[in-house]
Amino acid sequence: MRTSVATVLAFTTAIVMLGSGCASLHDKDSTKATDATLIPGDEAQLGKSFADTRTLDTSVSFEVVQFTYDSFIVPPTQVSKVEAVGKYLHDNPTRVVIVDGHCDERGSNEYNLSLGEQRAEAVRAYLINMDIAASRVQTRSFGKEKPLDTGHDEAAWAKNRRGEFAIYK
Amino acid sequence: MKKNLMISRFFATIAVFVCASATFAADIEISKLGAGKDAISLAGLRASGTQGKLFSQTLMSDLERSGWFKVDSSGAMRVTGTAEEAASTVQVSCSVAWAGGKGFQWSHAAGDEDTRRTAHLFADEIVRRTKGVPGIACTRILMVRRNGNKGSDLFMCDADGRNMKQVTHDHVYCVGPRWTADGKAAYYTSYLDGRPCVYRVAVDGGPRQKVSSYLGLNAGASVSPSGAELALILSFPGNPELFLMQLGSGTLTRLTRTQMAAEASPAWSPDGRQIVYTSDGTGRAQLYVMELATRQSRRITFRGSENLNPSWAKDGRIAYATCRGGPYQIAVWDARNSESSETVSDGASHEDPSWAPDSRHIVCSQRDGNNASIYILDTLGDTPIRLFPLSGEWVSPDWSER
Repeated sequence: MRTSVATVLAFTTAIVMLGSGCASLHDKDSTKATDATLIPGDEAQLGKSFADTRTLDTSVSFEVVQFTYDSFIVPPTQVSKVEAVGKYLHDNPTRVVIVDGHCDERGSNEYNLSLGEQRAEAVRAYLINMDIAASRVQTRSFGKEKPLDTGHDEAAWAKNRRGEFAIYK
Repeated sequence: MKKNLMISRFFATIAVFVCASATFAADIEISKLGAGKDAISLAGLRASGTQGKLFSQTLMSDLERSGWFKVDSSGAMRVTGTAEEAASTVQVSCSVAWAGGKGFQWSHAAGDEDTRRTAHLFADEIVRRTKGVPGIACTRILMVRRNGNKGSDLFMCDADGRNMKQVTHDHVYCVGPRWTADGKAAYYTSYLDGRPCVYRVAVDGGPRQKVSSYLGLNAGASVSPSGAELALILSFPGNPELFLMQLGSGTLTRLTRTQMAAEASPAWSPDGRQIVYTSDGTGRAQLYVMELATRQSRRITFRGSENLNPSWAKDGRIAYATCRGGPYQIAVWDARNSESSETVSDGASHEDPSWAPDSRHIVCSQRDGNNASIYILDTLGDTPIRLFPLSGEWVSPDWSER
């Protein structure tokens, strides 16, 4: 399990980093992939959430991205769901999106805020790699605060480990 | 598990006797009852009126909850004097005496403090004078009460579980409250704005300010011992990272650059020179300590599959939640013994540890399905105590310093 996650991780990372034209895969320091999302003066950094500045577009909805346990990598089987959002944003240049990241109940509330954020960021990185402007994609983590299923088994946990899309106009 | 607990309690008892005799033999010769507890008598305390009786009962409870004493009329250590009802509070004039002619006087005029607080002050003074450690009777515990996925609020109570007060009335998700050193306010993450931002709230009905609202995550806020800086987790660079924020100016200093790892839950060392935090750079959550002067981090946990949620005691030990092939348990790390071989909780899932200022007790959340209760654990082996009997989902407790 660990090997296959590492493989997917390396593969997805390579795709994202190559797409962003950046350096070493193993460079732990800030890479171009990260800098590409840190645009000075960008609406994205100034603390203005789309939820505050725009209106939710309820006419469109997208499938939820499922994540595997303790991982924030978009699994290969889920990539098409992200691509569907990317295509929509290409075709509708005035729309923007907030990606919501969620976790299952295991682990502390605090750590899960970070893991949920990583999930949302992974989806965001994928969209940016599809040439969606960074300023059109925001992230929002709910950690484990907002489960879909309050059960305590793998079926419930799998449902709760997810990324959701909210389109704003 | 039971056998290991008995063994660890045996060694803990030995440790108490060794510490007690090494540190206090010169000053205190007190008859002992039970495992390392000093017998103290309140038989000579004359309590009058309802408030006088409340004072006496609260004092007895505080002394026993400190872990150091057993109230017993045969105790060689004696509290004598009066506690008289005066208006809606109590007027106290007492002596505390123990073998060797040692002791002290303590009095408290009937003033602004209510009866329970007066008893707490006296109990803490007794602990301080006889044990040389801070008392915990005057302290408070802040926590989150969750309401399923419908929202949460901050609550607080006294260290004995009474005097429960609701601090926020927002019914929105909130996470990780951490006291300021003066015990008057807390920093926490709230979804008041529909997304995770850090706020500072005065706990006794004062104002609330938004402190960090960068896009992405604002969480894990923990104030430095100096009160000048906030450690927190921000993700606007593209990934959750550890930052310092100068309170006042808001100036940020970035401490970690880990593109594939998420950081969480920073906690300060008592001298303010180090921060312990969770990072999952190895694939699962582990604890790291960063030396702020050099910005160098080293990993400190290697046992179990996951180690997270650290709390740093005044005596330098770190409590945290660990996963070792079962439900989360609370474990203790110290610089000399590294990861202890036993954990200090037992059985059910225990998370969110926070040290009391006596560096002995730890408050945590014990989970059971959709419910969770607040428990006080004792690193010297006393039985865990449920803090209050209210049902519901109570999590993320934080123990005040005063």
